[in-house]
Amino acid sequence: MKNSLLIFMMFLSFGVFSQEQKMSESEITAFKNSVNATAKNTKTLSTDFTQLKHMDFLSKDIETSGKMNFKTPNMLQWQYVKPYQYSIVFKNNKIFINDAGKKNNIDKGNSKMFDKLNKLIVGSVNGNMFDENEFTISYFKTKDFNITKLLPKDAALKKYVKQMELYFDKTGNTVSQAKMIEPSNDYTKIIFKNKIINAKIDDSIFNN
Amino acid sequence: MQKLMIRFSIISLFLLLFSSCAVKTVEGYDKKEVTSEIFKSPYFSDKNEDYVYKASISVYGNNFGGIFIVKKTNETTHRAVFTTEFGNTLFDFEISGNDFKVNHIIEELDRKILINTLKRDFMLLLKENFQVSEQFENEMFKVYKSPDNKRFNYIFVNKSDEKLSKLVHATNSKEKINIEYLSENNTLADKIIIQHHNIKLRIELNKLIN
Repeated sequence: MKNSLLIFMMFLSFGVFSQEQKMSESEITAFKNSVNATAKNTKTLSTDFTQLKHMDFLSKDIETSGKMNFKTPNMLQWQYVKPYQYSIVFKNNKIFINDAGKKNNIDKGNSKMFDKLNKLIVGSVNGNMFDENEFTISYFKTKDFNITKLLPKDAALKKYVKQMELYFDKTGNTVSQAKMIEPSNDYTKIIFKNKIINAKIDDSIFNN
Repeated sequence: MQKLMIRFSIISLFLLLFSSCAVKTVEGYDKKEVTSEIFKSPYFSDKNEDYVYKASISVYGNNFGGIFIVKKTNETTHRAVFTTEFGNTLFDFEISGNDFKVNHIIEELDRKILINTLKRDFMLLLKENFQVSEQFENEMFKVYKSPDNKRFNYIFVNKSDEKLSKLVHATNSKEKINIEYLSENNTLADKIIIQHHNIKLRIELNKLIN
């Protein structure tokens, strides 16, 4: 009796965790097609975000927040507003940083690593990340989300990122949560809110 | 007579050299009796606190920033971690008294000279107990002098509010590193500036309020 109760409990807790189910092959194809179609039709994207940096030794996560603007083919601005002002623009293979007025440029051509991180960031915003050459990708689903888990193949990238998880909301097929897990298992989670697709975004926003 | 003159000149030259070389940190201060043998730095001493700072680093004209995180993990140990704004960990150090451990550092920063510089800065910043060997005073500050291997730390405490406001790390003849603190409540440093004198390195830390 005791044992069966234990087994029942185990199933119950297993049930809770297994809310996340593996997608079937046909589901994967359908999901990829719809995300790619959405990405193709997305000319601009603007959204608020909240970033939570989790480190095991801290009592609470470090919370920062701001706005993100993206315009095809490859202009991206991350603007932290709280609790500090910091903006970073990825444009024309360059990175422009404005750190509370202090400006700095980085030529990405010199930094393969930055290029990869840039692709990861842009990809996690527009969902264009199904590159089997770069990642080993697995697909899951829950009631509200389709989830992709990406394991980098590149040895250099692996040192920074153990796994990237993207949560696509089922209604809009865009990324609503991204989680970057470091080799130490500490992670950064970014939650996107108030997403606006294809609103007019002036190029001047990407002048940092 | 001439011999005596020469000897006198040499002695005075030495005296002149010697006095002009002596560190100027407490010049014009009155020497006082040592009132307490240990000075306790208050700013990173609470185990319950996550000390999170926005960091701006300027090194030889290049600026970059990130997030600097300190946690006192037990009575003698501090963790000091630096991440980018996106959260990627750049380095992760553990400091316990005179022990210094690199838990993690990215390849691009894994240079002995850089690690040693940061090691000295963070050991100074996170040191809690300073043995006091001499004490000085002027109208504004009480200064505790504390030996640190072959060097010294001069700890400046405001007389009016008893706040630790500056730490000068110096040799016998030269100031090497200055740390300035701004604190509202005397237990938490809201702003910290670490300024090096022999290399062009300045680290500014501003406390994040979550």
